[in-house]
Amino acid sequence: MHPLRHLNVGQILVVLALGFAAACSSGESARDAQRTVTVYVSTDRVFSEPVLQEYQRRTGVRVNAVYDTEETKSTGLANRLLAEKARPQADVFWSNEPVRTLVLKSREVLAPYRSPGADGIPAALIDPDGYWTGFSARMRVIAYNTKTVTPADAPQSVFDLADPRWKGQVAMADPRFGSTSFHVAALYAVAGDEKMDDFFRRLKANDVRIVDGNSVVRDLVARGEVKVGLTDTDDVNVALENGQPIAMVLPDRGGLGVPVMPNMVSLIANAPHPEEARKLIDYLLSADVERQLAQSDAVQIPLHAGVQGPKNIPAIDTFKPMTLDYTKAAARVEDVTQRLASILGL
Amino acid sequence: MWGLRSSRTVILGLATVVFVFACFLPLLYMIALSLEPGSVARTYRVLLLDARQRDLLYNSAALGGGAALLSTVLGVPLGVGLAWLAIPCKRLFRLALVAPLLLPPYVVGLAWIYLGSSTGIVATVAGRDFLSEWTYSLSAAIAVLGLVYYPLSMLATEVAVRRVDARLEEAALLVAPPGRVFAKITLPLAAPAIGAAALVIFVLAVSDFGVPGLLRVRVFTTEVFTAFSALYDFGRATALTVPLMVLATIVAVVATALVGDRLVAGRRALGGSRPLGFDRWRITISLFGAVVLIAALAMPLAVLVREALGAESIATVVRGSWSAIQASIMLAAIGATLVVAIAVWLGYARARAGLVVGRLADVLFVVLFAVPSTVVGVGLIGLWNRAGPFGQLYATDAMLLLAYLARFVPVAALVLAASVRQVPVSHEEAAAVAGAGWLRTVFRIVMPQAKLGILAAWIVAFILSFGELGASVLVAPPGESTLPIRIYTLIANTPSSHVAALALLQAAVIFGPLAVLGLATRSREVG
Repeated sequence: MHPLRHLNVGQILVVLALGFAAACSSGESARDAQRTVTVYVSTDRVFSEPVLQEYQRRTGVRVNAVYDTEETKSTGLANRLLAEKARPQADVFWSNEPVRTLVLKSREVLAPYRSPGADGIPAALIDPDGYWTGFSARMRVIAYNTKTVTPADAPQSVFDLADPRWKGQVAMADPRFGSTSFHVAALYAVAGDEKMDDFFRRLKANDVRIVDGNSVVRDLVARGEVKVGLTDTDDVNVALENGQPIAMVLPDRGGLGVPVMPNMVSLIANAPHPEEARKLIDYLLSADVERQLAQSDAVQIPLHAGVQGPKNIPAIDTFKPMTLDYTKAAARVEDVTQRLASILGL
Repeated sequence: MWGLRSSRTVILGLATVVFVFACFLPLLYMIALSLEPGSVARTYRVLLLDARQRDLLYNSAALGGGAALLSTVLGVPLGVGLAWLAIPCKRLFRLALVAPLLLPPYVVGLAWIYLGSSTGIVATVAGRDFLSEWTYSLSAAIAVLGLVYYPLSMLATEVAVRRVDARLEEAALLVAPPGRVFAKITLPLAAPAIGAAALVIFVLAVSDFGVPGLLRVRVFTTEVFTAFSALYDFGRATALTVPLMVLATIVAVVATALVGDRLVAGRRALGGSRPLGFDRWRITISLFGAVVLIAALAMPLAVLVREALGAESIATVVRGSWSAIQASIMLAAIGATLVVAIAVWLGYARARAGLVVGRLADVLFVVLFAVPSTVVGVGLIGLWNRAGPFGQLYATDAMLLLAYLARFVPVAALVLAASVRQVPVSHEEAAAVAGAGWLRTVFRIVMPQAKLGILAAWIVAFILSFGELGASVLVAPPGESTLPIRIYTLIANTPSSHVAALALLQAAVIFGPLAVLGLATRSREVG
């Protein structure tokens, strides 16, 4: 007899019903006995998950984490937070760059909370209204291939990338998404529309390669497919640790300043577990977490004084950061996205 | 038969209600959101047919049409071969030919980049780059999607050809050569199923974001994605879905008009006999299948394995994925079963509907299937994340099941409609005359004859549910995830070797249960 002929409709319906019931009971109601906190995280999972697991281990509080995908793979957590605004599921939002946080602030998804953990963090990296606090930063850098470019020849400014000597040899991630969107919005906010429009037109004429993400830029530079590229410090560090022929320049140290992107942590408005949320925020802003992120592959730069930074990355007090109003930069994102879509043909 | 209290009315009515609730409401919610007073003009001005929009329209249509055509050209001969010919190790051969469907299209696109980029394998071996310009192009995107989705055409063709009465073909062979019999008898009778598969592939291709995004082809899905990810504008994203749905409508109307609604009389004689005279095609089909396997499966797998071997520790890569694997298999299996449980009634209703209603149903299924997954996901959040009984389901795995229903009931209904259409109405009428009720007739007469189609629909729904990402990322309960979610959240800042290893893990995990199912299911093999 055929194996599947043993099944009849009634048996299938019973299995369906049991399965659906199991699916429905998989939510928080099944874990009510334990304290919980829900955090939406857009910092790379490989870096953030160990931090959250450590918190769970130390405190016994169950951390329900929702991680983000790479910005060009799916629409991301910011949209989920916006969609859930009327009835939030998240307690905390941990972002790896300012744009998402500031969009959420403007859409009233966040609530103010001034954490004692913010003591010691520079005021420029704390929201005056208390809706976000920065910690553990990265920088935007120019990566170059050390087999084809000498340190003396490496571009020292973002604007050097439009030089004809780099024609066809420059890569950058899609400027509509992620940390690159923050970078270009910051440049427009600081340098002005006319200068930046002209720069990107010249970059387009220079056959700039627009790719999927910062890690792709790093890989292209490391493999020698291009000589230089715009990416983040943590991406370059991965290649350095793997012994690949790559180095980085902090751009515009003597000019506009180096773009600094702090992680940002925020309390969600009407969070289901506000007390646990505040405790988690306090923990994330602690020097201990900054030490963890500095010493891990994340190589994030501590903002608390006295915390040892990562070995391949300059400390934040050794260069001139870009003087930036993050709110103004984030407000430019939509307009800049449309401008670049037109100029770069995206 | 259509009395208010008849079982037919109740069950088909219930299935329709569930269909409207599960598949329609999320889209209606998003459309309502986009029509907020004061912002309609700003939101919908993106639809002005400027040069950019025309480019998007052309690229999207070309991508969908090209992928459907390529998949059909590859899949139909293979499906016919599997139905008719005594191919050695046919069951394994079929499994291998279905396997490309298990690889996420995005991953196959990655494999092509590893192969054809300026420092890819081809350039390294040949000593010069002559392929990279083609690698990032519309043609490459068509090739990738065509090679991923041809198994759908193949499965649909095999099921349809098996349903053709061999006596018709044998009678024709008395007076006509095999080629003419195939062209004039078999192909026209199998055309509805082949056409349905081509439509499904068209919609899968135009609603795909991963491959065009990766290969830098600008299509409507990339614009929808930008509206969400870069602009956080739900209204704009929904508005950009409209051209996609219009395109799907036009194609569906044209396809259903051309393919028609021919019914097939009878079924193959017991014992699995096949029409004589086609054996000489066995070697040709086997070789053709081998070439397709090399291009669609062996090459991407080889490239991924080569990349994955560079990973420092495969164990590190897969560590911690066990709960995600379990969740994915369980949810995909339950989801596929729920999808088929609803779609089988919708497919039956469509198959037995009149010409106008039937074609409207086909168009509706296609259009709903074309709605981008993110629009569905945000719509589900808006509908279910509220106080009261609806809210009890939110933040449970039930939301993932609802996402699978919303996305895949339409495509399963299309597949099942094609299968049920091949069951003669006269069989139901004979059962009615003998005194059997409608429900008993359906379970004892119709479903057994359509069981291959039901199995094919379940497999398609399982594969699609397993790999679903766009809506799942938005509705998965906090603290839990499926394997695709886990993979895509790990991809960021992970070496390409790890990405390749995770992609292989996903393919292996999904292949296992399907291989068991395929080997356990004894179909009436030829020869």
